[in-house]
Formats: sequence, structure tokens, C-alpha cells
Amino acid sequence: MAIMTPAELTSALRRADPALSRFDPLERVIYHADFNHGHSGFTATIGNYEGTLDTILPDMNFLSPQLSNYAMWDTGTAGTMHGGYALKLATEARAGAVSAATKRLTIRSTGLIRLETWFGIKSEATQMVLTEHDVRAFGILFDIQDHSRRLLPRLRYLNASEGHLIGQWQIKTDHPKRHQIGPSGKTASIGHYAPIGYTDVPGGRQPLCHNELPTKMNWHYLSVTFDLRSMRFVEFRCNERVFDRDLPAPFELPEWPNLTGLLNTIFFVETDVDKRAFLYLDSVLFSCTP
Amino acid sequence: MIRQAYLSVVARNASWSGDWSCEPCECGWASEAIFFVRVLHADPTARQAHARVQISPDGLHWIDDGEPCDIPAEPGVHAIRVRHFGGWLRLAGHTEGGGEIRVVCYLHLKE
Repeated sequence: MAIMTPAELTSALRRADPALSRFDPLERVIYHADFNHGHSGFTATIGNYEGTLDTILPDMNFLSPQLSNYAMWDTGTAGTMHGGYALKLATEARAGAVSAATKRLTIRSTGLIRLETWFGIKSEATQMVLTEHDVRAFGILFDIQDHSRRLLPRLRYLNASEGHLIGQWQIKTDHPKRHQIGPSGKTASIGHYAPIGYTDVPGGRQPLCHNELPTKMNWHYLSVTFDLRSMRFVEFRCNERVFDRDLPAPFELPEWPNLTGLLNTIFFVETDVDKRAFLYLDSVLFSCTP
Repeated sequence: MIRQAYLSVVARNASWSGDWSCEPCECGWASEAIFFVRVLHADPTARQAHARVQISPDGLHWIDDGEPCDIPAEPGVHAIRVRHFGGWLRLAGHTEGGGEIRVVCYLHLKE
């Protein structure tokens, strides 16, 4: 009988677990968020404030994520890919509205990090027709600060715009203006969820399955790998497609006070119409190299 | 297993004037629910607000559940307990007097 190496044994154990075998993590798993067991540390993210909530930038006032069992008016409860509950990010029913949820960590080692999820997107089923162009976009971002710079590297899937399907992967390469918040000098804010400053990933067109009714949703796989040394995306995968060439560099900012070591993992969704857009996460796995 | 509990912010620094409703919240996993309304401040022209718990089979169609709750137009915290709900909850209501009350509204859920 052949002797397995530690890496082979680790891989075999992960593959034997149905909850983990759907993922392809790096060597060390930092967290596995299975939303059958609650929100798993994902919470609302909002713009910074000082003294009064009126100082939150208007486009950064996001509400709490929810646990959803995907209950539809026509077919009842669908559940999720791996159990009963998914994390649901819901925008308000206002064109351009965004919802975002974050899990806040710090940098453990300066190598590769990988964020994987099985996800679904859908708009609120208020019409009896497939409205596949309601969801404007969704994506993931990291909020990072090392010892000299702050980055918000973000991968976005531009699903649709003004009634037309697009299906283009993008990376944010520019950012809106920085706003000082309050008089203390400790707090600032950037409306970085604004739909500007994106650069298309070369060859990054990818249609996704929207199914045939506003209530039918399919689960998709997404994996994003980022290098904390070069501060560049290394590759991302969505379903059967792999994108690892000519990925644009994310924008960088000078370091901010009190953020050294920051590493947040964030998901977001945008609506293109006056209807709620939803991003459902069946589960999330975050891993790194030692 | 310890029981899950979750504090959901369903309105933050929201202006409630005239007719209003919070964002819907999926909560089928919970067996206990309380809405908390924290009034941050109120316009001098705002009088009290009347809040109604609403339930829904699908998050799209809503009906009132239970008795309305009166919320004075002054800073303070108010609680509305909800019992035997389905998979969705929201709070809807009306503010009298034409002015706004500015609120943070929570839905506290427990397994």
C-alpha cells in the first residue's frame, strides 16, 4: 500500500467530505461558512460615520444580510445546494441600489488567498416573466492594508445594463473621491461601490444560466485567487471557465490610519431597476498558502 | 448546539413620514421575533407614528398581523413582540403630522 503524503491525505479527506469536496482550497482553510449554521460571521457593511449617522455616504448605507431558504410564491421552498439556508444579500427596490456583506479578518500570511463560493443571482419575482436583466452586477472584494498601502481589489460580474444582458467580468481600477468624515481626522470614506472605475477583463465575457422563470435559480461556482505580495489577482474561475491572463491591476491608496493588517472578505450585489436584486451564497470557503 | 440569535438592522437612519414600510426580512429559521424602533429625533411637525407588523407567504404580498403600536415622535426605544409568524416579517406604518421621525429599526430573531 502506497504511503500518502500529508498533502495527499489532506486532499483526500477534503474530497471525502461532501461540504468541502465542492471546493478547491489552498493549503490552509481559514474559514468555511456553511449558512445552514447561521450567518457565520457575515454582517452588514456600511460607510464610516462620526458623531451622527447623517455622515454615512448615501450610497454606503447597506442593511443586514438574511438567511434564506429560497421560498418562491409559485413553487414554495427550494432550499439550497447543500441544505436549507443560504446567505441572502438584498438591495432595496431602487435602480442602482447596492447590498454588501462582509466578514472581517486580518492578514495571517503574505502569500496567496482564495475566496470560493457557490452562488446564485435573481431579482425579486414581482413579474410573471423572466427578468434576467434586472440584476446589474454582483461580485467580491477584499479590503486590504499592508504596511504601506490600502487596496480594495474587486472582481465584478456586470450582468446587465439598461435592459440588455452583458455578462462581462471586470476589475475595479479606479475609485471615487475620498471624503473626510467628521472633525477628528480618524475617519474617512470612499463610495467605492459606485458603478464606475471598472476595466473589463480581456476575454472576460461569460454568459450565466438564468433559467426560464423569475423564480428558478441555479447555483454557480466562483473561485478568486489574489496574491498579497504583488497585490494582484492571480486567477479566477466561474463554473467551467478559468481567467488567469492579463488581469488588470486593482487601484491602490495610501495607507489609512488604524487599518494595518486589514483583510476583509466582502460580497456585493447591485440592481439595475426599481426592483430588489438578490445574491444568494450557499456556502463560502476562504483559504491561503501558509 | 447553542441557539442562534441575530440582530438584523432593517432600517438605519431612515426617514419615516407619511406611509412607510421597512425592507422585508426572511426569518423562517427563527421562532422568536421582536421589532425594536429607536427614534433618533423627530420634526416638530411630526406627531406619533402607528406601526403595524406584517406577515407574508412569499415576501411579495403582505397582511397586517396583530394590533398596531403607537410610537411617540420623540427620542426613545419601542418594542413590538411578534408571535407565530411564517417565513417573512416587515414593519409598516404611518407617521401623522406631515413631518418625519428618524429611526433605526431592528428585527431581533432567535431560533
